[in-house]
Amino acid sequence: MAGMDKQQEYVLRSVEERDIRFVRLWFTDVLGILKSVAIAPAELENAFAEGIGFDGSAVEGLTRVYEADMVARPDPATFQALPWRGERQGAARMFCDIHTPDGQPAMSDPRQVLKRTLDRASAQGFSFYTSPEIEFYLFKQFESGQVPVPVDRAGYFDNVPRGTAHNFRREAITMLENMGISVEFSHHEAGPGQNEIDLRYADALTTADNIMTFRAVIKEVALEQGIFASFMPKPLADGPGSGMHTHLSLFEGDRNAFHDASGELGLSPTARHFMAGLLRHAPEISAITNQYVNSYKRLWGGAEAPSYVCWGSNNRSALVRVPVHKPGKSQSARVEYRAIDSAANPYLAFSVMLAAGMKGIEEGYQLPEGAEDDVWELSNAERRAMGYEPLPSSLSEATDAMERSELVAETLGERVFEFVLKNKQREWKAYRAQVTPYELESYLSVL
Amino acid sequence: MSAREVSFTTLLRRAGAHDPRRVEALLREAEQVLGRELDEPVEFVSYLADPDAGVLQLLRLAESARESGRRDQLLAVLDSGRRHWLATVLGGSLALGDFLARHPEFVGDFLAWREDESFATVDVRAALLEAVGADPLADAPVAVTGGADGVARMRVAYRRALLRIAAADLHEANPTSILPSVSAALADLAGAALDAGLAIARRDEPRHHQVRLAIIGMGKCGARELNYVSDVDVIYVAEPAAPAEGDGGAGAGAGGGGGAGGGSAEQRALRIAARLAVAAAQACAAMGVEPALWEVDPNLRPEGRDGPLVRTVASHVGYYERWAESWEFQALLKARAIAGDRDLGEEYVARTRPFVWSAVEREGFVESAQAMRRRVEEHVPADQAGRQIKLGPGGLRDVEFTVQMLQLVHGRSDETLRERNTLLALARLSAAGYVGRADAATMDRSYRQLRVWEHRLQLRKLTRTHLMPDDEASRRVLARASGFLTVDYLDEVWGDIRRDVRRMHREMFYRPILPVVARLSAGEAGLDDAAARARLAAVGFRDPAGAYRHLQSLTAGTSRSAAILRQLLPAMIGWFAEGADPDAGLLAFRKLTEQLQGTQWYLKLLRDSLTAAQRLARLLSTSGFVANALLASSEAITWLDRDADLEPRDPERLWVEADAILRRSDDPDQAITALRGLRRRELARVAAADALGMINASRAAQYVSYSADMLIEGAHRISRHMVARARDLDELPIRTSVIAMGRYGGLEMGYTSDADVQFVYEGDAEGAKAMSDQVARELRKLLQSVGPQPGLEIDADLRPEGRNGPLTRSLDSCTAYYSTWSEAWEAQALLRARPCAGDPELSAAFVAMIDGARYPPELPSGALSQMRRLKARMESERLPRGVDPHRHLKLGPGGLSDVEWTVQLLQLRHGHAHPELRTTRTLEALDAAAALRLIGAADAAVLHDAWVLATDLRGAIALRGNARDGDVLPADIRELGLLAEILATHESGAALDERFTRATRRARQVTERIFFGWEEGRA
Repeated sequence: MAGMDKQQEYVLRSVEERDIRFVRLWFTDVLGILKSVAIAPAELENAFAEGIGFDGSAVEGLTRVYEADMVARPDPATFQALPWRGERQGAARMFCDIHTPDGQPAMSDPRQVLKRTLDRASAQGFSFYTSPEIEFYLFKQFESGQVPVPVDRAGYFDNVPRGTAHNFRREAITMLENMGISVEFSHHEAGPGQNEIDLRYADALTTADNIMTFRAVIKEVALEQGIFASFMPKPLADGPGSGMHTHLSLFEGDRNAFHDASGELGLSPTARHFMAGLLRHAPEISAITNQYVNSYKRLWGGAEAPSYVCWGSNNRSALVRVPVHKPGKSQSARVEYRAIDSAANPYLAFSVMLAAGMKGIEEGYQLPEGAEDDVWELSNAERRAMGYEPLPSSLSEATDAMERSELVAETLGERVFEFVLKNKQREWKAYRAQVTPYELESYLSVL
Repeated sequence: MSAREVSFTTLLRRAGAHDPRRVEALLREAEQVLGRELDEPVEFVSYLADPDAGVLQLLRLAESARESGRRDQLLAVLDSGRRHWLATVLGGSLALGDFLARHPEFVGDFLAWREDESFATVDVRAALLEAVGADPLADAPVAVTGGADGVARMRVAYRRALLRIAAADLHEANPTSILPSVSAALADLAGAALDAGLAIARRDEPRHHQVRLAIIGMGKCGARELNYVSDVDVIYVAEPAAPAEGDGGAGAGAGGGGGAGGGSAEQRALRIAARLAVAAAQACAAMGVEPALWEVDPNLRPEGRDGPLVRTVASHVGYYERWAESWEFQALLKARAIAGDRDLGEEYVARTRPFVWSAVEREGFVESAQAMRRRVEEHVPADQAGRQIKLGPGGLRDVEFTVQMLQLVHGRSDETLRERNTLLALARLSAAGYVGRADAATMDRSYRQLRVWEHRLQLRKLTRTHLMPDDEASRRVLARASGFLTVDYLDEVWGDIRRDVRRMHREMFYRPILPVVARLSAGEAGLDDAAARARLAAVGFRDPAGAYRHLQSLTAGTSRSAAILRQLLPAMIGWFAEGADPDAGLLAFRKLTEQLQGTQWYLKLLRDSLTAAQRLARLLSTSGFVANALLASSEAITWLDRDADLEPRDPERLWVEADAILRRSDDPDQAITALRGLRRRELARVAAADALGMINASRAAQYVSYSADMLIEGAHRISRHMVARARDLDELPIRTSVIAMGRYGGLEMGYTSDADVQFVYEGDAEGAKAMSDQVARELRKLLQSVGPQPGLEIDADLRPEGRNGPLTRSLDSCTAYYSTWSEAWEAQALLRARPCAGDPELSAAFVAMIDGARYPPELPSGALSQMRRLKARMESERLPRGVDPHRHLKLGPGGLSDVEWTVQLLQLRHGHAHPELRTTRTLEALDAAAALRLIGAADAAVLHDAWVLATDLRGAIALRGNARDGDVLPADIRELGLLAEILATHESGAALDERFTRATRRARQVTERIFFGWEEGRA
């Protein structure tokens, strides 16, 4: 084949040498759900040359019905054998770029959205790095309709000897590292059965790919151990939610653009404008960073969840937190965005977060005073007096805010914007139509 | 003495002096400094391209020689035959004259150059390296003299070598003949400067031996066709000198991205290499005692400005495998190792070479090549285009682009074409039969001449310029320096070259595509079927086999027309290729040509008028609507030659023509057929002007409306005549008028729209109503009946009471109706009422009467909510089934009707107080409302943009002529791309889709706020 390049040859050779029987082609729909098309090794050559056609209308948000044909083109650089133990014969995966049949990148491919946004930042000399702390729950196998039961009931930093969670984490970390994803730190979060794994700093596109891989690995490992993993933002009414606090920084070449030794908290003006942008646009990007009905139950459920738009240094109730770093470690200057949850589509969420921050830099937004109090402890009147606006309290409010947002429309592109809006409005409508056990319990007999 | 003086200045003037007295004075002064008279002063002056400046340089050189004790050396040169060389340098290059004055020690060089040794064989690399004390034979030479001193020495050595090249070049009687070796020598000299720069850099970099660094020349330097002064494009490649530990090797995936990975041997080496590269470039480009040489531009590297300056070979290869864009492959064609580690450089070239030749296979290659060409042409400032030697039409860029494009298309299968240098590649193309011999020779000659001029202009002050000077004096210098007797002659040759190059730029690519049977003479290039189809596909024909068949059919045979077509088609294929739909264009051209077979004028027109041929190609490949119009009535083709003929006719002029038709005919059928024909002709004219981008969509709509006015006015006159005759009357005893409504009333009619009207009459004669009704019915019949010429649908549904009301009303009845009207929509509809035919007095009375209704002092209570409800209902009911509302240009959210209703609401509310708002046209009313601050400037701009875009798109869809419903924006990306092509916005289909969605989303927000008043309810 004339067009075959070295990377592709390498993939073909590996498939043969490692006796790989299936190659999974991965891509992500607009809601952040990983999609997978399995092909046989024999089809690989063709997949490289022409891509694999598929019916895009079956995938959320990818196309409109009348232009359903899409082409997935595997990126050979992302080739990775899958260390699933369950698969007797070898399997491997590659991430794909989605194209229209005439060869143009699909506007609605979330990976493309992030690439476009990164390009815009890069045109101003910035590259965007992120590092997420991903929380999730491990449950015993559950049955539909039942309240899920966490695998153990350990507290913060407890070391549960020979606990399920312990084994699980060891397995998961090994498998992640086999797949080239470095895990920086892991500890047990406050909730029973809740876990947190931190991914190491990387450029935002790699991080987003890694998050997708991470979710798949966690689910897979859990299944192998006969338990069940969920990234649902608030699975237990009385337990803490699963957030995905994300550390953000901009680099100009090799230099951390957030760092300025002489600035307050070691922050540069760029960092302060970026934070101001994040804060000002936080309400309108909520429908992306917190995209489900359930997300707002975490956001407004107390327990460290940031419900008000403010920032602070080491203030765990603030929406944007500036972690204290060791003096002299200029490269580690960063800010932490705490609203985003583990169920977000990382490609889109990173895009809007970056766009909000960049807007702050472009327009030179002024950063308001930092918050030192625990914002949850203040009265409503106090919060209003100090100018701490609330984040949207429901998905409905969040979509209303997003609908009026030029920033989100421009970042996502009109097509994705429209789709997300419609999808979220539909979700809210469906949710509103429910009569919940809570209502039955509260009202049925009394009224 | 005085006799000699007069004749001497005359002689000097003849020798070219502009100010002979001053030249003479300077000569005398120079002689004084030299201590004796010059042998042949007039002859010396005649060798100076710029005598006035050259003599001054001689004086300065003489002074400098005297001061440095080298007067005898200068005199020796002046006494020898080499004085002509000195003269050409002093007169041709002020900068090199300055250099000599600065360094008189090199004046003796003129005598040292051996007759039997060419400048092209000098080892400049050795000379420059030795100048800084480095060993030219070392693998990695290190300078002894470093820092500013080393840099200065290197630059002096560079200029000394440059002096030799320039002297030979300027002195050459036929400079085009040695142009290739001059360019090659300049490229080698640039490489040598970088090598010497590296040697200087190594001296200050103790760990330089840990890395192998190669400098790759790109662009002109890579192709050994460099100018005297231009940016030197480079790419840096480096590897650790010793094999790195671990030697991860082949896994190219790890290639040098921006990761924070730490300090492997490779990364250490790359950091050292980057420092060396920067220092070497600075040695050439940074400010210094001895002026800088030229800029070193490393931005062709992977990722451009954002990418790391230096990469390993594997990292480069990884980039080209995964990320590179088409143009970057084109750039690789020129890559050549020019300095630093040769083995490494050659390895880089060998590893990247395969990418060049697979570039054409990549998706989007054609589009990106075309887009690049367009971009290049658009970048030339308009005031410079006529003077640009490099980028202007018919300039160097045209030659280079044509040659490269041919190389890329055919070089994949034909290895003999894989050549960096433009002239050599051209020779190969000709030898292998891809380009005709005559064309190749003309191209070669033109390129050389253009380059010689460019060189002469640059030599003057050693500045980077590609502009023909616009003042007479500088042009004269250029003419003298390049061997032209007069400026006029130079201008003439330049004009010829530009025309030839432009023509060949268009045709060279396409002529050989014509089927082999059509070959005229053996000297022309001929391609086999496969190669021809490859070229057709490469420029954007989607069905190259089909296109090839059409060409075959058009050019086959020995007929005269086939012969003319063989001349015409090469250029026309290119124009088809630039249109939205090349395949459709060529097919329509074949049909048209077959239909007009046997007519004399058609091919003659195309042969004699390049403009007509180009426009025809553009129209046929852009607009199915116009193509059909041309097929139906070919006379329109004759307009294409003249702008004035494509200018839409003003209503007055149109009416004069219509009036004449009505006067000379008393047969209603004949008359109406002639008028309908007139309208069809005007539609074709407007559509052609529209498709050629001569008028915009809203002006087109205006003229489409005027031609409807003409037709309706004519039909009205005929129908009154018929009704009167049927009643045996000379003249009808009533006045009648036709009122245009809706978009027609607003002069916003589409090519295929119906005409919305209502009928009004005045008169109390017996049977007045019956007569009026009959006039209206006859008029309708005249316009709608089937006939040899296309008709016009009349829609009277916007009359009072709509479909249920009487077809015509008296003015009194109208007055009564509107003064007691209850429906808000009727007042709204009246906003766009405009008399279009009939009795002027009655029309004026009608307008005066409705003004009370449409511009009420106050909006009646309930009217607002009624309008809002009506609009909301329309949105849900009027849209055709199965159509995505967002793509409906008229009725969709943010579409035409949103904008129009919002504007009309402002008119209803404020038209009474502000006469400026009283217009039937949307944009006029919107602009007036914005000027009156009845709507915010930002909101008005949003509505304006959305309306214009939707109008443009409707126009483009109508021109494209293949849509089932002209109000629905197609969803197919390719089809959208074609619409963008018709709009001439050069954006992709996806980008157009995005722009449209954004514009309508914003317009909808404004509509919801202003028309529906929704904002108040929200937070």
